[in-house]
Amino acid sequence: MPRTRTTKKLAQRIDLDYFKRPNPLRRWKLWLSVAAPAVALLWFAWYAVRSDRSVYSAGNLSSAHAVLTTQCSACHVSQLGFYDERPIDQKCLACHDGPMHHATQAFMPSCASCHTDHRGAIRLAATGDANCTQCHADLSTRGGSTSFVRNINDFTSDHPEFAVLRAGRADPGTIRLNHDRHLQPNLLGPDGSRVQMTCTDCHRAAADAAGPWPYGDGKSQRAPPAKDAIANESRTDEATLAASRAYMAPATYARTCAACHTLQFDKRLADSVPHDKPEVIHPFVIAQLQAYIAKHPADLRVPRDPGRDLPEKPIPSDYRLLTPPQWVAERASEDEELLWRKTCKQCHTLNSEPGSALPRVAASNITARYMPHANFDHSQHGLVGCTSCHAAAMVSQQSSDVLLPGIATCRACHRAGPEAAESRCFECHTYHDPAQRKPMHSNFSLPELQAGTR
Amino acid sequence: MRIDRTHKGWLIVSLAIFGVSLLLYGLYRVPAAKGSMGGTAMGLWFGSVGFSFMIFAGLLGARKRVPVYRFGRAQTWMRGHLWLGLLSMPLILFHSGFRYGHGLTALLMTLLIAVVASGVFGAMLQHYMPRVITREVSMETIYDEIAHVRAQLLEEAEELIKQAVDGEKAAAGAAEGDVAVVTVPVSDQAAPLRNFYEQEMRPFLEKPGRRGSALGDAAQARSAFSQLRTLVPAPLHTTIEDLEGICEEERQITLQSQLHMWLHGWLLVHIPLSLALILLGAVHAVMALRF
Repeated sequence: MPRTRTTKKLAQRIDLDYFKRPNPLRRWKLWLSVAAPAVALLWFAWYAVRSDRSVYSAGNLSSAHAVLTTQCSACHVSQLGFYDERPIDQKCLACHDGPMHHATQAFMPSCASCHTDHRGAIRLAATGDANCTQCHADLSTRGGSTSFVRNINDFTSDHPEFAVLRAGRADPGTIRLNHDRHLQPNLLGPDGSRVQMTCTDCHRAAADAAGPWPYGDGKSQRAPPAKDAIANESRTDEATLAASRAYMAPATYARTCAACHTLQFDKRLADSVPHDKPEVIHPFVIAQLQAYIAKHPADLRVPRDPGRDLPEKPIPSDYRLLTPPQWVAERASEDEELLWRKTCKQCHTLNSEPGSALPRVAASNITARYMPHANFDHSQHGLVGCTSCHAAAMVSQQSSDVLLPGIATCRACHRAGPEAAESRCFECHTYHDPAQRKPMHSNFSLPELQAGTR
Repeated sequence: MRIDRTHKGWLIVSLAIFGVSLLLYGLYRVPAAKGSMGGTAMGLWFGSVGFSFMIFAGLLGARKRVPVYRFGRAQTWMRGHLWLGLLSMPLILFHSGFRYGHGLTALLMTLLIAVVASGVFGAMLQHYMPRVITREVSMETIYDEIAHVRAQLLEEAEELIKQAVDGEKAAAGAAEGDVAVVTVPVSDQAAPLRNFYEQEMRPFLEKPGRRGSALGDAAQARSAFSQLRTLVPAPLHTTIEDLEGICEEERQITLQSQLHMWLHGWLLVHIPLSLALILLGAVHAVMALRF
């Protein structure tokens, strides 16, 4: 009789105690379920035994703090035995000075709320816009009033036009300069040559001011001194400018004008007057004329002015014979008249000084930084040509024209998106007032940092 | 568990939670681009909700351990486990700001990916495998009975062989008494069957998973048994048929065992890692708030 598989037969071969026997799958599941958490606990125990808390770290420290990787207590401190060990401002301020943003700011955020570390090799100063817009999106100040725009959410959408370009403000500079004329082709250059001027002939960063300057005086052609800025550059932080290529150094006469615009004051003399105040120029002129007449006494015999404006007037003798002081006084008067009325006035504004025979030269007021609350670095923008941003310079005829590019020019590159340049607040603005920043020194020793023993 | 139309409600709720979370992430994350996420209020919210979903998913195991309390339907727990466990992944990614992390957080992210991936894999297996088993294993038995059934099959086969050999001897003895002509030695008539059993079938039944056995493959087994039929007298063909049936059942049990391993084996990864994830997640929550 062939073998059959009936339900009865199948039921009969079932072992009713089968559930009492160990099931390998269930047994493995149980053991692994115990083992996996146990291994995890052992992992923690291993770190705990070594007093290594790096396992709790959210990430590597920033480049600036990388040396403190094993020095958790440099930032994290348990206060009075409490559980919380988050970094506190006092720890940050032990090494960094963090001057407040503005005297009237409504509140002072904690350091770590903006500068969040343990995010890898990042710049801690590169904070998110939200840190700024928590106030500037709806700016309120202690005292209520502010000169700043109150609602700014981000650079690309509602950041206002730069202040100097708002409401038709004029450049405060007093030097008369026609950019349009200076950028024309075939200008009469030094020694009668024909030239085509470019922006960098006059505008260079302070760090690049070592020349040669094609239109400067002989001294500038060789190697001009770095600190020949005129006194009127009082707005310029010279130390900062000299150390960087961020900002353009103000154009000076010696470096950019002297070769074409000479200051010759008398056809008898080859020397030019120094580019200085009238109080300096006047004695120079007198000294030059005195030296000249001492060498050329024949010039004391001066042809008399025929006085042709009075036809009926009798004609006197042909020559006058002057004493040297008389000759010097007359020549000086003529030469200085030429200087004050024409040579100097071509660029400068001269005002008469009550009670003084010499005029006063108005301060040039050259603006080194048009945006005092923002930073800009020309060296980082070398990719584009000067007139690509400063397009107005090509047609500007008035010194009062502000040739700073508008915000739309910046937004051409600085906008949202991965293919665009950085557009967050920190790119231009600094939270901590650099003017108030004090030098700070911590007291770690190199062995401590290397061993992580502190 | 089959993932069918009955999951529609869970699917909609899960998509709604995901959509709201994605919107919140977009609103809070974009302004703070490249900034930290986990420690922010929204980051903590994502972390808390994601972790609570993980704990809920983990409670399924507890619910299975203590079924007598009947706190909610097992089916509801299972669906919640599936959908909320899956949701924990995007929520934790929002919590981390899509950063892998470092140290403990990197390990947590690795565990989460492994747990969710193994869970999704397991859910797919649980969805498809039962149908495959029903189709391919018509002689399915209780998995825990497989070893017992195998022993019975071996015992049954031994009995069949014994009966066949003894029966042939008895038949041959009767023939010797009646007829004086001796044809073939009686023991040799069942010898091919016995040899086949001892050399091929018994090793197969004793170690069914052994590679190289012709009986492990249905086609080769059919061929082997057909060949065997030509070597033994017709009365033994019934025995061969029974042995062939035993081999077929053994193959199906072997297949069932393999499919069962696929169907439940992923739990060997999923459950231990889930427990480790919840334990380490709790440590992370405590220590992250500390530092």
